[in-house]
Amino acid sequence: MNGIGTNTALVKSQPLVRTHESKWAKWGLTLLAFGFLGLFLLLPLAAIFSEGLKKGWSAYWTALKEPEAISAIKLTLLVAAIAVPANLVFGIVASWAIAKFEFRGKQILITLIDLPFSVSPVISGLIFVLIFGLQGYLGPWLREHDIKIIFAVPGIVLATVFITFPFIARELIPLMESQGRDEEEAALSLGANGWQTFFLVTLPNIKWGLLYGVILCNARAMGEFGAVSVVSGHIRGMTNTLPLHVEILYNEYQFVAAFAVASLLALLALATLALKKILEWKVRSESEARP
Amino acid sequence: MSIAVNGIVKCFGAFTALDRIDLEVKTGELVALLGPSGSGKTTLLRIIAGLEFADAGRVLFDGVDTTSRPVRDRNIGFVFQHYALFKHMTVFENVAFGLRVRPRKTRPTKSEIRDRVERLLALVQLEALRNRYPSQLSGGQRQRIALARALAVEPKVLLLDEPFGALDAKVRAELRAWLRRLHDEIHVTSVFVTHDQEEALEVADRVVVMNQGKIEQVGSPEEVYHRPASPFVYDFLGHVNIFHGRIEDGKVQIDASTEGSPSDKTEANASPRRIYVRPHLLDIDHVPGGNGTFRAKVRDIRAAGPVVRVELVSDWNQVVTVEISHERHLALSLKEGADVFIRPREGKVFHEDYAI
Repeated sequence: MNGIGTNTALVKSQPLVRTHESKWAKWGLTLLAFGFLGLFLLLPLAAIFSEGLKKGWSAYWTALKEPEAISAIKLTLLVAAIAVPANLVFGIVASWAIAKFEFRGKQILITLIDLPFSVSPVISGLIFVLIFGLQGYLGPWLREHDIKIIFAVPGIVLATVFITFPFIARELIPLMESQGRDEEEAALSLGANGWQTFFLVTLPNIKWGLLYGVILCNARAMGEFGAVSVVSGHIRGMTNTLPLHVEILYNEYQFVAAFAVASLLALLALATLALKKILEWKVRSESEARP
Repeated sequence: MSIAVNGIVKCFGAFTALDRIDLEVKTGELVALLGPSGSGKTTLLRIIAGLEFADAGRVLFDGVDTTSRPVRDRNIGFVFQHYALFKHMTVFENVAFGLRVRPRKTRPTKSEIRDRVERLLALVQLEALRNRYPSQLSGGQRQRIALARALAVEPKVLLLDEPFGALDAKVRAELRAWLRRLHDEIHVTSVFVTHDQEEALEVADRVVVMNQGKIEQVGSPEEVYHRPASPFVYDFLGHVNIFHGRIEDGKVQIDASTEGSPSDKTEANASPRRIYVRPHLLDIDHVPGGNGTFRAKVRDIRAAGPVVRVELVSDWNQVVTVEISHERHLALSLKEGADVFIRPREGKVFHEDYAI
């Protein structure tokens, strides 16, 4: 009995004694990590809220209730409401094609999907100015037909779609590749048509990955600054998204208002983080329930 | 439904997976496609199913050309090696899937679907698991559910791709016997792919032996085992010793030469041949005698199992495997390193005449 007891104790404690660093090293490293996080992440986050609330809640609310702030919030929501669904469709289509079919140019497509990640957002914005701007390739034609893209909402949407394109596709491609084609083929062999196969078999298998991608995509769509800044033209109450509005307020020394608006974006970040964590728990508990 | 495959060719890039395959499967038959990996057996099955399309040739179901018909219109049941059950659906929903996706006009009512699924779950003896998810089942149970799911749409043809390949040996043997009994019960035309010769010989009515995109032999299990049409078939269906030698007046002469290189000692009037001898057609003795006897040294003895498997090394350094009964083993009291004689069993026919 005794022997068995000792053995289990040994086995249980094994994962903890993998390394033999001194207590000082262990605690020192942990403190360093937390200190770093505190200094570079928590402190700025706290600063945003404390600066925003410096002159009390009423000043905070006033800053948010300003018509220009309201229109920035509306525009940001509108852009996200267009960019996220668009990339949802693009992302599913692209990752479906890449994961389930063999075709020429597959590698090129995978590389192209990553392009927005590797290009500086400012350059991405400039690309659109080059194409749609007055001096751009399509500029004269657009002006003749009285279509405004650059320094208008369509340009902001385009730039945001471009910037956030990889988020959903990047999330889905490895997931779909790991799942293979077996289940889809089984569904087809059982007489299901393409849509039934997609909605009844493929979509349920990728739903968590898809949601994860959507959350990240949404966070970026609302928070994008560089590319949007280039194409927006900073027209107050017209083409200012939340990040651009923060910049303008800050440059005008309206610190309380700037931080109040910034706190909205910070809240968005926190909500995104929380949702992401919840999803991860959910996926884990589901995969544990059905190992 | 009968299946006919005419002149099927399939290439993947420069690799020819199937090279002008002709095959017929009669109604109600259970046929095994047997071959090593890369022999094209799975590709052939997938082309019959409509999951893959041939570069040339035709597939006919009951004489009707179905070559370009997509899989969902072929009325087949397909069972995958890794089950391919729908992970997010219960066992019941999995089996019901094929019925629920039918267009409204041909879809059975809810109660009809329930009855049919229950009947199928009873057929595969898994009624108790109807509300489980696939991940809560063992491999053998998953494959039986996959089979029930395939049968739910009342397929005219059942196609199974290495159905037992991912299971452990014991479950495999059980499911094998079970599949045979099931087929005797429902008699649906079935084709299954396997690389396990034992599985093919035990389960199938007919065995199609494939190698490098070609069919080597088609025949009953007895035929392909006892009358192999090519050296490949002989070698693939069980262990075999290959000797150089001649058969003169029905008597075997084994040349003392290394397997694989042509013998110099062969006399002019008897051409050099390879002789294929299964281990159980050889005997061991302490004294020479009889045709074709030669000397060898015992290298290894494996006495676990229904027969005793003895590995010996001949004078010309060829490893020879002999299978003898436990009684014979006791009578001989063999020891590793002992010098003995190997003798072809009396009254047994040798396979020869594969001139190289």
